[in-house]
Amino acid sequence: MAGEGVQGPRSDKAILPRRAVCLLPLVLIAGCTGRQSALAPAGEDAAQLKLLLLVMLAGAVVLWLALNGLFYYVTRIRPGAFHIRHANRLIIGAGVIFPTVLIGALLAWGLSIMPGQRAPGDGLVIRVKAEEWWWRVEYWPQGSDAPITSANEIRLPTGSRTELRLTANLYIHSLWIPALGGKMDMIPGRETVLTLHPQAAGTYRGQCAEFCGASHALMAFETVVMEPDAFAEWLRAEAAPAAAPGGAGAALFRDEGCGACHTIRGTDFAGTVGPDLTHLASRVSLGAGIMQVSRDDLKRWIAHTGDIKPEVAMPAYDWLSDADLDHLATYLEGLR
Amino acid sequence: MTDRTPRGPYPPTEEMLAEPVPEEIQRAQSERLRKVWQTKTGIRYLMSVNNSEVGKWYSLTCLAFMLVAGVLALLMRVQLAYPQMQFLDADRFNQFFTMHGSAMMFLFAVPLFEAMAILILPAFLGARDMPFPRLSAFGYWSFLIGGIFVLGSVFFDAAPKSGWFMYPPLATEDEGVGSDIWLLGLSFIEIASIAAAVELIVGVLKCRPPGMRVNMMPLYAWYVLVVGGMILFAFPPLIAGDLLFELERALDWPFFDHTRGGDPIFWQHLFWIFGHPEVYIVFLPSIAIAAMVVPTVAQRPIVGYSWIVLSAVGTGFLSFGLWVHHMFTTGLPLISLGFFSAASEAVVIPTGIQIFAFLATLMVGRVTISLPLLWIAGGLAIFTAGGLTGVMLAIAPFDWQVHDTYFVVAHLHYTLFGGMILPVMAGVYYFFPFFTKRMLSKRLGKWAFWLIFGGFNLTFLPMHLTGLLGMPRRVFTYPGDLGWNTLNLISTVGAFIIAMGFLIFTYDLLRPGKPRLSSRNPWRAGTLEWSDTKTGEDWGVRSIPYITSRYPLWDQPKLVERMDAGRYYLPDAPEGLRETMVTSVIDAKPVQVQRVTGDAWITLWAAGFTGGCFILPTFHLYVPAVISGAFAVVCILYWLWTSTARKPEKPMKDAGLGLSLPTYSAGPESVGWWAMWITMLGDSTAFASIVFGFFFYWTSRADFLPEGAAHADAALLALSVMALALAWALTYAARHLNRAGRIAACRAALIAAPLLAVAGGGVMVLSVMQLAPSSHVYPAVVCALVIWTVAHVAVGVVMQLYCLAGSAFGKIDPDHDADLWNVTLYWHFHVLTVLVTAAIIGLAPRLL
Amino acid sequence: MSHQDQDEFRDESVSLWRIAFAPTVWAFHFLLCYAGGAVWCAKFGAAQGVGFLRISVLGLTVLALALIVWQGWRSARQWEPHDASATDLHRPESRHRFLGHAAFLLSIISGVGVIYVALPALFITSCR
Repeated sequence: MAGEGVQGPRSDKAILPRRAVCLLPLVLIAGCTGRQSALAPAGEDAAQLKLLLLVMLAGAVVLWLALNGLFYYVTRIRPGAFHIRHANRLIIGAGVIFPTVLIGALLAWGLSIMPGQRAPGDGLVIRVKAEEWWWRVEYWPQGSDAPITSANEIRLPTGSRTELRLTANLYIHSLWIPALGGKMDMIPGRETVLTLHPQAAGTYRGQCAEFCGASHALMAFETVVMEPDAFAEWLRAEAAPAAAPGGAGAALFRDEGCGACHTIRGTDFAGTVGPDLTHLASRVSLGAGIMQVSRDDLKRWIAHTGDIKPEVAMPAYDWLSDADLDHLATYLEGLR
Repeated sequence: MTDRTPRGPYPPTEEMLAEPVPEEIQRAQSERLRKVWQTKTGIRYLMSVNNSEVGKWYSLTCLAFMLVAGVLALLMRVQLAYPQMQFLDADRFNQFFTMHGSAMMFLFAVPLFEAMAILILPAFLGARDMPFPRLSAFGYWSFLIGGIFVLGSVFFDAAPKSGWFMYPPLATEDEGVGSDIWLLGLSFIEIASIAAAVELIVGVLKCRPPGMRVNMMPLYAWYVLVVGGMILFAFPPLIAGDLLFELERALDWPFFDHTRGGDPIFWQHLFWIFGHPEVYIVFLPSIAIAAMVVPTVAQRPIVGYSWIVLSAVGTGFLSFGLWVHHMFTTGLPLISLGFFSAASEAVVIPTGIQIFAFLATLMVGRVTISLPLLWIAGGLAIFTAGGLTGVMLAIAPFDWQVHDTYFVVAHLHYTLFGGMILPVMAGVYYFFPFFTKRMLSKRLGKWAFWLIFGGFNLTFLPMHLTGLLGMPRRVFTYPGDLGWNTLNLISTVGAFIIAMGFLIFTYDLLRPGKPRLSSRNPWRAGTLEWSDTKTGEDWGVRSIPYITSRYPLWDQPKLVERMDAGRYYLPDAPEGLRETMVTSVIDAKPVQVQRVTGDAWITLWAAGFTGGCFILPTFHLYVPAVISGAFAVVCILYWLWTSTARKPEKPMKDAGLGLSLPTYSAGPESVGWWAMWITMLGDSTAFASIVFGFFFYWTSRADFLPEGAAHADAALLALSVMALALAWALTYAARHLNRAGRIAACRAALIAAPLLAVAGGGVMVLSVMQLAPSSHVYPAVVCALVIWTVAHVAVGVVMQLYCLAGSAFGKIDPDHDADLWNVTLYWHFHVLTVLVTAAIIGLAPRLL
Repeated sequence: MSHQDQDEFRDESVSLWRIAFAPTVWAFHFLLCYAGGAVWCAKFGAAQGVGFLRISVLGLTVLALALIVWQGWRSARQWEPHDASATDLHRPESRHRFLGHAAFLLSIISGVGVIYVALPALFITSCR
């Protein structure tokens, strides 16, 4: 069945305290944090939007109480106590003048922060192409003429604005990292641009937000935000070919035809249908943000792809023996 | 020409109205009226076309579809109760959420407006029936067939599964029949909606009681007018979109395929140009119900009548400038987003005014607490919350964060429950005694209210937070470590509490043995519908009153008594025909006695064959579909021929109170002409949407027009335009010739016109024969415009031949030419279509 | 049209026109702003910036507001808010004043709508 044993890269136990916080009354939302939460911003854009939310929410709560309080007051507490003059003033004052001014001001604020949220990037460009259902990622540092290719994980430096140029293969998708900012659709045949300015290092989860078919729910990724130096270091390592181990795993990988779809730089495997696996083992998650890069998960994934991720293009290698799966997992775990 | 000017005194004097009607005359009149309007029994009950029967079926069908769609929601909530549940798989979940949205919108919310309006509007207006009862029945049967077809697919695991918004390329590329079921089934229902809109608009404009000037109409009628107008401009873009979509699915014309010059974003524009006004199409009629309930509850006239009219009209206009707020994250330029953000905020103001006008009325009235008020209060609490989150979402940058998350799910359910479901429930409790002459239970009503209200908030309030914590919409499962688990479980529990509330409500609605009404006006309301007797009669009103107030039952003390006595207009049916009164548009002066169509099987047959024509192509059964379509045309022609614009037995008849009114009218005096005008307005909107497509591609795609593309053949196109223009001129001439008594010349024109039209249409097809529409979007758009135009030529030819037959068999003569007027009007619109099509496919490519 | 309809429309054609006038001005203003913005940004925005577009929007706005104010003033006169003589709803004067009132209120809303729709031109300075 679909969704069999799908787990996030972290175990359930680790987040129990956080879940307990979320159990608290809804009014405490500011205290609720999460790896995929718009309320726990780790970037300039998300922080600004959180402020916008809190101001609007406070206003909305006050207005809701005032309006419904008034309803209760005039129907239950003092029914029939008003003159038609009051009624006309209510329509003109509360129905026309007050909202016109208030909403006008809010609109002006909203419009004024829009250009900043789409400010041009500071140099690094990341091209992300949404596939069904995973992410093809290319890093184009300033001035480079060839990309550094990766998949299903986005790494960003803190302290500068990175431009993400987005497109999609077959269907429309949407890239969203709530902790860093708003989302942007990824549309076949079009290029859309999202710029993000992370501020705090950490790992944040992103997910496809536009319904894109069978495995829409299973199209996520981890965003690793790093200090600029660490990021530069990582990018250098990512650009290098894989330290591909040999052995039975490599032979199986070749014999089963995995290389027809997957690239592992530094080997003969150069397929481009599926995700690049060059540094698979150094990634935080597997299968587009739905599993861990662990031996068990690797084996399960290879043997049961379609069960775990409905309608995925990769066939399930369920005829492989457990020993063969072990060999393959060993090989993949060596791709650092 | 017969002089058809109304004769006799109008308005009636108090003296005339005070004169009693003798008892035996009253009895004899009632007897004849009862016989004429009697509802048939047994299997022949299904022939009924009267608004009270059709309205009842319509409402109950909507309720049934709503319950099914609700069950789908419950099943989804079970799947989402815990992370990684395995109750539904991805495919089934996707079918369910697609059907939940589609059914709630297309099979419940919009049709319920039509159902309620058909049911209560004539009563508000003191009319006996809608102007076109068979059209209502046809619309209902179409809705039922289409609804069962679309919703039924879910039981065969064949339902659409690309979301109720059907975005290409996901939906166009989808294998299986799901997308086709959605497209064809719902197109069918949309056309039924447009038919209902036409009928309701004409009903409000032309079927008001004498004396009910525009400034005295019940607010409900104003809303119906606005909403009907909105349907005319909102639904056609979607129908045009459906046509393009199906052309891509069936013939591979690449409207939404980017590899061949198409653009998936174009569908999003068409869908939301429909989709956002649609939200207001759902919301306004429900607010209209509140506008009828609030004055009764406050026991005083509404405060700010003009304000409410203004806000209804203003909302209607502004709601067409909001659609891109569903597309804030598609990467459009910020300045475009800004315009739509601004318009989305502007619409808040008229919406707020409506609510404050209700508050103002309650403020100055003497409020009595009743079940309808309870539902309205609950609706207000929920709707204001949804409205305030709407204000937040209209700020584009905030939307970037929460778009397509559970925050939006919460928002839309708050607006729809608060703005639609709860006010409609208020309406059901309020009007139930009028519909059925029985009362619903107060105790069960309170239970239903608190379960639905409480369950609703339990379900949807937490969803705001779920969304902010990052949960996207339309996911069939989620990981357990993101802080969403408890919130989702709460929502699931809440959903079942809502379901219990609806179960109690449905039980109360359907249980036998509810107490009978003790007085005809249990709420002490002021509007005309409560003049109906305690037991109810099929005739609607005993006599059609003369109105001098917005709240006649409050302000015209002897009104009900005189209505009952048959003192007013049309108290009798001496000819044994169903009649209602047509009045003038602004001041509602009596104009005509309209013979409305009676019970018949033909509407059922017509709906069945029309359904076949839409449903069979889903299974690629094109030949049977065409045959079914031909039968549908024959049925409709038979229905028109035998029951519309028939020659009356006498040109004038006594309408009561000494007033003598014509029994036949043609041209702008007749309701049929208005219906044609309104229909063609909607038709032109659909055409305009395809034209918009041409310019959309030109703006959005650098490769439109492609280098060296083949164009439509200019010479042939010019020839075709000339032939069609001549066909139009001859049709127009035929009308004048007929009126002038030159029958032979008229018939000659009506023979030449269709021949020219067929030739013109054929040549237009020839002019684009060398184009390959599946190669690129440019030839595809050109061919779509030609298909549209040529299909209209075909309809125009049938109309011309209908008139020719009418002239030959005595249906049309110099004195009776309603059909010719309507057909000429059709051709006026059509010749414009031809000219625009020719300009776009012939001139634009050479100029751009 | 029936004779009654003809008479009434002659009486009230100006009023009916007035009711639709202000929202129609809003609609055209909105449509021109949106279509102008879309075409400008698709065809010229990258090369020429949005200066011309912003000025055009503001110019259109001034024009639209002038029309709406003129319209509002005329319908306010038709409404005659301080004349309390014609309160009987069923008299033609009342219908006439009602149409004036509705048109007046619609011009207020349309005016607000036009101002709102012009705001983006003040804040957005690129075609991004």
